[in-house]
Amino acid sequence: MIEVSVNGELKQLNEGLNVSQMIEALNYKTKGFAVAVNTTFVAITSYEKTIIKSGDTIDILAPVQGG
Amino acid sequence: MTKHIKQETDTWEIGGKTLHSRLLIGSALYPSPANMEDAIKTSGAQIVTVALRRQAAGEGGGNQFWDIIKSMGIEVLPNTAGSHSAKEAITTAQMAREVFGTNWVKLEVIGDQYNLQPDPFETVKAAEALIKDGFEVFPYTTDDLVVAKRLADVGCKILMPWGSPIGSGRGLMNPSNLKAIRKQFPDLQLIVDAGIGKPSDATQAMELGYDGVLLNSAIALAQDPVKMAEAFKYAVEAGRLGYESGTMQEREFASPSTPTVGTPFWHQFK
Repeated sequence: MIEVSVNGELKQLNEGLNVSQMIEALNYKTKGFAVAVNTTFVAITSYEKTIIKSGDTIDILAPVQGG
Repeated sequence: MTKHIKQETDTWEIGGKTLHSRLLIGSALYPSPANMEDAIKTSGAQIVTVALRRQAAGEGGGNQFWDIIKSMGIEVLPNTAGSHSAKEAITTAQMAREVFGTNWVKLEVIGDQYNLQPDPFETVKAAEALIKDGFEVFPYTTDDLVVAKRLADVGCKILMPWGSPIGSGRGLMNPSNLKAIRKQFPDLQLIVDAGIGKPSDATQAMELGYDGVLLNSAIALAQDPVKMAEAFKYAVEAGRLGYESGTMQEREFASPSTPTVGTPFWHQFK
């Protein structure tokens, strides 16, 4: 197991997951969000090849009201 | 009626789109989603600002809001609000492009938490990188002419100087600076963003020759946001018509508008 930060909360994940597998493991059901790992954007086309490592900081963002 | 003729013929180009409304509106702070929808529709705005925030797992956070906006068929302008560095703003913009399906971004890099003043150095840096990456950048900036120049130098076709700090409702703090930016950049699209409080503030911005006005709190925090949205719709139209009409020259002294020839009981003041 590895420990990562997801939206500011510490989470345990299996080692070697890519972004798609991480999203599934974290139980994100709906679409319409975007992912950044260590403040760098990860495009949907890069989910499979981006492997989550111990200590990574992950942000999963979705649309909200804005000014 | 003249108003309706104007609405159909007064179009403008922004970010590759041809629009007729010069009012850009925010989607935050309304009493309810339904009220937001009514206010946006009533305002006639064709561009609405949106944002990205952390989504909790296992729920559809933000989707109800996003479904409403999508159903309205208007342009969305995602912001990078909350960014404090060029890096954060660039990442947020890239995430927004994927989620919202637009290359438009309201670039907002905050340099001071007290008055939410944009950081000019990081804003210019982010603008340059985003333009190279294919974004249409709508940079939120102060009314500083030199910062405006730097943003234009890196390729910004749109500038959004503030009227006054975000959410302050203080109107245009420095109309002279805004005028100078208009004069220096006749070919750029200029939008006053932030600080608008009253409909007359929006009219004033448009009378200065600005191409549009972006506001949120002034409508959302009004006691009746939908009615205020209508007020701003007319305020922006009035200001634009006033600008296009060419205002009269100011004079030092009074000059009677009623003909003096044939004045009854005529007498000369001594």
